[in-house]
Amino acid sequence: MSDTVVETTNLTKSYGDFTALSDLSIHVNRGQILGFIGPNGAGKTTTIKILVGLSKPTSGSATIAGVDCSQNASKIKRLVGYMPDKFGSYDNMRVHEYLDFFGAIFGIPASQRKARIQEVMETTSTTYMQDRYVESLSHGMQQRVGIARTLLHDPEVLILDEPANGLDPKARIEMRQLLLQLAARGKTLIVTSHILPELARICNVVAIVTAGKLRAFGTVDEVMSSLCPQRSYEIQLASASHIAQAEKVLGQLLLDSEPLTSSPAELTLRFPTVRTEPELAELLNQLVAAKLPVTQFRELTSDLEDAFLSVAGKD
Amino acid sequence: MNSLSLLKNPILQRELIGRLRSPKALIAIALVAIVSCTLVLMRWPREATIDLVSQGSIQVFRPVAYAIAIAIMMLTPAFPATAIVSERRKGTLVLMLNSPTPPWVIYIGKLLANVLLSVLLFSVSLPAIFACYAMGGISIAGNIIPLVLIFLGMAFQYSALGLWVSSRSQSIDASLRWTYGILLGLVVLSIGPTVLVGKLSGLKAWIAQAMTTLSPIPALQQITGAQGQSQSIGIATGWVEFLIMCAVSTLGFALATLYKLQPTMMDRSRDAGKVIEAKQSSWLRRFSYLVDPNRRKSGIPFWLNPVMVKEFRTRKFGRLHWLLRLIAGGAIVSILLTVVAATGTVNWGVDRIASSMVIMQIGFLLLLGPSLGANLIASEVESGGWQLMRASPISPWRILSGKLLSTFLTLLLLLMATLPGYVMMSYIQPAIGGQVSNVIVSLLIATAMVTILSACVSAYSKTSAAATAASYAVLLVLFAGTLLIWLGRGNPFGPVFVERALLLNPAATALAEMKAPGFETFQLTPNGWYVGLSICAAGLVILVLRIARLTRPE
Repeated sequence: MSDTVVETTNLTKSYGDFTALSDLSIHVNRGQILGFIGPNGAGKTTTIKILVGLSKPTSGSATIAGVDCSQNASKIKRLVGYMPDKFGSYDNMRVHEYLDFFGAIFGIPASQRKARIQEVMETTSTTYMQDRYVESLSHGMQQRVGIARTLLHDPEVLILDEPANGLDPKARIEMRQLLLQLAARGKTLIVTSHILPELARICNVVAIVTAGKLRAFGTVDEVMSSLCPQRSYEIQLASASHIAQAEKVLGQLLLDSEPLTSSPAELTLRFPTVRTEPELAELLNQLVAAKLPVTQFRELTSDLEDAFLSVAGKD
Repeated sequence: MNSLSLLKNPILQRELIGRLRSPKALIAIALVAIVSCTLVLMRWPREATIDLVSQGSIQVFRPVAYAIAIAIMMLTPAFPATAIVSERRKGTLVLMLNSPTPPWVIYIGKLLANVLLSVLLFSVSLPAIFACYAMGGISIAGNIIPLVLIFLGMAFQYSALGLWVSSRSQSIDASLRWTYGILLGLVVLSIGPTVLVGKLSGLKAWIAQAMTTLSPIPALQQITGAQGQSQSIGIATGWVEFLIMCAVSTLGFALATLYKLQPTMMDRSRDAGKVIEAKQSSWLRRFSYLVDPNRRKSGIPFWLNPVMVKEFRTRKFGRLHWLLRLIAGGAIVSILLTVVAATGTVNWGVDRIASSMVIMQIGFLLLLGPSLGANLIASEVESGGWQLMRASPISPWRILSGKLLSTFLTLLLLLMATLPGYVMMSYIQPAIGGQVSNVIVSLLIATAMVTILSACVSAYSKTSAAATAASYAVLLVLFAGTLLIWLGRGNPFGPVFVERALLLNPAATALAEMKAPGFETFQLTPNGWYVGLSICAAGLVILVLRIARLTRPE
């Protein structure tokens, strides 16, 4: 039996002539965290709205735990916990009352609600703020309460729109730990964020969308290798006076597809390449043979941001 | 600062141009022009003769003057009442106060923008006023110039009032509610002591007379040839005194606003909330609140609509301790009125007492209903709560019924406050028991109408500020506008037309049922009920369709 919890197949949404989302096909397994990446207007919110039953696709399908998102929206609402980017605050309402209200509209019986609220407050470390007015909370506190709200009805899938947006570094670390903790409990998470290094640290899979189209989908390593096949290398010399000589030597050895850039201020030279390790070792030998004082020869690590920019830059 | 540099005020330019771009402002201006011109056309003499002592022209001049005055009362305070509080909530006020522009320039810009808009509003009716002049019987110096000065005074006074309340309020709906509440006090309650207590003497008489200068009613009566009505109830002030009071009160409101309009007004910590445990509560606190707003709440029981409970808990005014205070106040006033009549302190019959109670109840409904109802949906959409409710399994019908009930029950509690008065009245004069029942039915219909219509406006508005202002306008047109037609009964409106217009107004049905002065000839029951219920039904259908549209998947 497949362990896929969230699945979209050729999901398309058009508004008149404008296509907000085109042929999106992704799947997320139980306990995985999907990082959903894309610039503003890429179609992320459209996808999320279809998944939570707030929007209907023009064509294609989306299912959560085997339930069709557009055909059975009421069942989907019990399977999904949705945290939009806007908190949804109410005046004169304490955190405890706020959670009680959302528990009530999700149909949690009054007898179970009190215990459930305590449980989600403990999970999200919000117990200490239960008597505070929600509008008086800081942004980081509100994000935590927002997650507590989505957990109230114990959904299988959590869809969080920009949960780390506007958080300070400490709150971001806490948020990251909370999301990992929820995934460890078997929850499936879909998280959008503009802070890509954050996503790279917690996501099992990532999907990059731009202009309504899926550009890459898979694990972080798979996406990196498909979007950034070239590795970048950096050579550091002992002094700036050898930069010109190094450029001359490397100019004879490198191909046109391996453009060399130099930075005398940093005493470094950089180039992208697809050479194998033995070929790179030979390159280093040539530099040493030319009596160049090489202090470092190392690969620069690419990250999700590079992968995203390589896709975003094409649009 | 000369007049040219005043017009270069960037705040004035932004506010004025911004509002003039709004189609709603243009619609309001066009409506005032159409209504005033229609009133004149209806009474224009068929024969091409001018009558220098014509009573006809003054009979046209009077409703036109009152129509414009009501338009100024309804529309002028709405924008200044939201001006400062909405900028503070959006964060633009702090930007302005941190700029080199001094607070008084900001204030003048906001005040003048609103006054100029009001001037535009009443200047479109000037052709209608001059048409009255052409009919003969009124003069420029004796009638038209004083009328324009009264309108100008009202524009300044109400704009300054709105800005002052706005500078002290924490929320837009509270600001609108307080502004219209104070306006009601200025226009109607200020003449209350003179009218109710009758012939006073000494300092009390002087204070009561001074209070009448706050209301434009005696001034309007003086220049529309109805001064006799004012004098018959003991009011001796006129338009000059009103203008002096306008200048003084505008200056007072302006100074109070400028005192508040400083960068330090944002320098306050957020109220984190304090919970009072039941055992900790002192007897004084328990007595003053009855229902302590800070006491820890229990969970929402299964038999209550959670949306209704949420509405009661989240609005400051709708919370139970405020309602109980208001109900207690209403009950005391209604019993006092009845006791005063029964003991012969004033020479009023039961009909007049009942009319006063109906007017007080309708005043409560119109003051509180729009601000409660208009926030039901617009503020939910604005805060992002609507999106969360859409993502939950709760049905649209349950959302709507919870929201409507929260407003309807609040207003119903207010109406119940006057029940002791009616009970006493029925005891004093048992024969009117049937009439009292009919009045209560009319008031229930009025409550439903206020709730549904303001919720309808809310469902079609993008912001709660716009929804509140529009709700006040719609309901005042319905309730005060029809009374304006009643004011012009005989001339220019015929009895059939007046009766048809009054059928739209459940307050008029209640007043006619109690044979209130001026309503004795109208038989509005039960047709007024049918019309009122039809309006409620139509409003409910529109509301259900709108909610279905707002909750269904896009």
